[in-house]
Amino acid sequence: MKILMHILSFEWKILWRSQTLKVLLLVILGAGLYGIYFGKFEVEKQQARIAEVQAEQRQRFDSLLVWAQLDTTLEANRAKYARALMPSGSDYRTHSNYTVVNTPSATAGLCLGQRDLYPVYYNLNITDFARKVNTGELANPMKLLTGNFDLSYVIVFLLPLLIISLFYNLYSVEKEGGTLPLLRAQTVSLFTLLLGKSIIRLFLIWGVGAILLLLGFLLQGVPLAATESGFFRWLGILLAYTTLWALVMVGVVALRRSSALSAMLGLGLWLVFTLITPALINLSVSAAQPLPNRAEVIHAVRTQNDKNWEMPKSYVLNQFYAAYPEYAEVDTTEFYPWYYATFTVLDQEAQALKAVIDEQVQERNAQMARWEWLAPAAWVHERLAGLCHTDRQSQMAFLKEAQAYHEKIKDFYFARLYEGASITLEDLRKLERGL
Amino acid sequence: MLRLVIKKEFMTALRDVRLQVSGAILIVLMLTAVLVGKQGQKQIQTEREKAQSAMYDTWLNQGEKHPHSAAHYGMFAFKPKPVLSFLDVGLDNYTGVSVFLEAHRQNEVLFSAAQDSNGMTRFGEMTAALILQVLLPLLIIFLTFNIFSREREEGTLRLIHAQGLSMRQLLLGKVWGTYAMVLLIFLPLVLLAYLLLDEQSAQLDSHVTGKFLTLAASYALYFLVFVLLCVLISAFAKNSGVSLLSLLGLWIVACIVLPKATSNLADKVYPTPSQFEFRSTIEEKVENGIDGHNPYDARLASLREATLDQYGVGTIEELPVNWSGIAMQAGEEYTDQVYDHEFSKVEQIFHQQNRVSEWAGFLNPYLAVRNLSMALAGTDFRHHVAFARAAEDYRRAFVKKMNKDMEVNHTPGIAFGDYNVGEEMWSSIAPFAYELPRTATILGQEWRSLAALSLWLVALFLGSFVLAPKIPKL
Repeated sequence: MKILMHILSFEWKILWRSQTLKVLLLVILGAGLYGIYFGKFEVEKQQARIAEVQAEQRQRFDSLLVWAQLDTTLEANRAKYARALMPSGSDYRTHSNYTVVNTPSATAGLCLGQRDLYPVYYNLNITDFARKVNTGELANPMKLLTGNFDLSYVIVFLLPLLIISLFYNLYSVEKEGGTLPLLRAQTVSLFTLLLGKSIIRLFLIWGVGAILLLLGFLLQGVPLAATESGFFRWLGILLAYTTLWALVMVGVVALRRSSALSAMLGLGLWLVFTLITPALINLSVSAAQPLPNRAEVIHAVRTQNDKNWEMPKSYVLNQFYAAYPEYAEVDTTEFYPWYYATFTVLDQEAQALKAVIDEQVQERNAQMARWEWLAPAAWVHERLAGLCHTDRQSQMAFLKEAQAYHEKIKDFYFARLYEGASITLEDLRKLERGL
Repeated sequence: MLRLVIKKEFMTALRDVRLQVSGAILIVLMLTAVLVGKQGQKQIQTEREKAQSAMYDTWLNQGEKHPHSAAHYGMFAFKPKPVLSFLDVGLDNYTGVSVFLEAHRQNEVLFSAAQDSNGMTRFGEMTAALILQVLLPLLIIFLTFNIFSREREEGTLRLIHAQGLSMRQLLLGKVWGTYAMVLLIFLPLVLLAYLLLDEQSAQLDSHVTGKFLTLAASYALYFLVFVLLCVLISAFAKNSGVSLLSLLGLWIVACIVLPKATSNLADKVYPTPSQFEFRSTIEEKVENGIDGHNPYDARLASLREATLDQYGVGTIEELPVNWSGIAMQAGEEYTDQVYDHEFSKVEQIFHQQNRVSEWAGFLNPYLAVRNLSMALAGTDFRHHVAFARAAEDYRRAFVKKMNKDMEVNHTPGIAFGDYNVGEEMWSSIAPFAYELPRTATILGQEWRSLAALSLWLVALFLGSFVLAPKIPKL
């Protein structure tokens, strides 16, 4: 034990004197800081986009609140008044929109994940949900392809390179430098010596990783202690991932090959784990299972829409009453009750098809996830994205939330529309608070 | 003498077990990538063709309808999966694949594969491009890092020099010897990929052979650049270790770090507008006019005036033609102008962003070959825009036809429900067909990347010529 401590302190001194190490540490620290800064910049951009739509939402409510108090004896005011207080709006094409936004989590900037692929908001109203979500966010596909230079990238891709560069010549440097026979003549076994060298390097890597993580959380203004911040889970993943890489490199060193060959082997393994395996999994899944055609949902909606308008009104209303039995007693000769019922039928049709497609997509992703353990880099990245709520699942959860909100909007309007009541000022205030 | 050096380098490489192993791995990877990739491309293309023709059938069989209802019912355009995407998938997983074409509105091309996949997709897809752009250069590094230092360490460099071989010849010999080795791995792949170009490929893209050969030539150029660069660096490196580390460092920066950093930087220099801003600007301009002083109502009023004048009547009811048809088409043409303006504004920003990485090709040959390869494979941003534009032109044409029919044939006095057209009308609209850009067009657009690669090649040859005599012999 004493000997090991001695080796550790001696190795530490040698390491600390190395110019190359200082350069490498500076590079990784610089990359980490850039990653943190870039992540923060991207999240702020997302937040700015959200603020933009929320400001418009605010403006819309302000208008509605003013319109609701207009003097309707004046002809010019009537349409606005109707728009604000009639459940059916002022005419069948204009509806009040309500915005639902996907706010990034506090740690979203550390692992930007999949958020750049999806819209940050949806505008919903009393009409159908299906067509409202056919939007995207503007993004240059080239940027999506090359990906984000965030902290998770530095940890998943660059940190292992640092590990490789620290470990690859653990043994060969002694052999090639001619110090190996000297070492062998010592009472300390070569194993203990290499163990000491490995441990000190692993500690160094852990230290660098932990510093980067601390900097990341602090510079993004995330409190470490808060359980939802996930700092300790990040730390756990980081330690496990770097240890895995250290073990891989110890395996390479154990082969006792020359520095050049060890470096090549290390880099080759890095390629296998971070690039080749995920790419092969992606290739096989995309060749074996083409994605279902989501345009089918748009087609189903338009076909249903045609049918709704062609068939007698009872066609729509009967389906509507099945979903909303509480409104079965309404006057069916009126236009609006039928008109808004058509959207419910559209959504039902779309939802049924979408569920089938989602299932296929889910199955395909499960296929991919089944092989994830072969690609530790992808596995780690997916876990980090999960911790930051920036993965695909989080987006699906948001979509569900948006759909539930849409139901609330409908319930709110339908309760008044089908009872023949109008909206009150108090109702508008309730809407303003978010139902 | 030169031929001897080439042969010697080639044979040494061929006999090296490490290179035999890594070369074999590369070849197996490439075979997998090409064969599986081709099968995948074929399957996806078949599905899209099926979807395209099924959707066209629904258009034909939509029954008797008012032409404007048909315009609302709409059509679909599916993006063909480019033939050479099996060699370079490029942006294909990040761009939408289909667009709904309907009256009044230019929709976006939706449903990218990445949106439907979990995070693993972001790690890239194994295609020939990935192997040729990233992995093969690594093999070149392994072939060349000690190509000079070994001879120096073994003392043979002086012997060779003493035999009358100039350093220039020696350097070139080593370059061509290594390059021959690279071609030995590369050319069978080219042949295999060429044999995989089947009937479906030729149908989809009649210029595919030209594109394929240009693509292969670009890679051949890229490898030569890389070989030259590596041999030069290793010629001046202090020893094998330094040579290897600096080459690997260079590779990591050029192939892993810089591409990401470049497009992140480009997004910063030319910020992408938000979807919200984009959509609200369109709405605002349709409502209040492109210049902000020509609101919808005023546009409609002046159109009415002009139409009444044209037919010499006093009221809409007296017109011999359908006023709604005229108004609708005029509205359509006005929104088209707005769409053209706003869509091309966003496209311009993306082009500006991409141009940063095109110029960066002069600093980093990896970027040059990446951009060139994507463009020739038909999977770059320009191809996406070309498809979106073709789909939009198609939309405008069929909507116009519906409006025109309504204007002429749905004469005043006939109620909305009483004027319907049927299959004859629907089949007068030909199915959507999109012709992929020609090779010359692509090369014209990608001149920066092409120039960057050529410049690298010329500069490196010149550099070797000038620097070769200065290579340390001890």
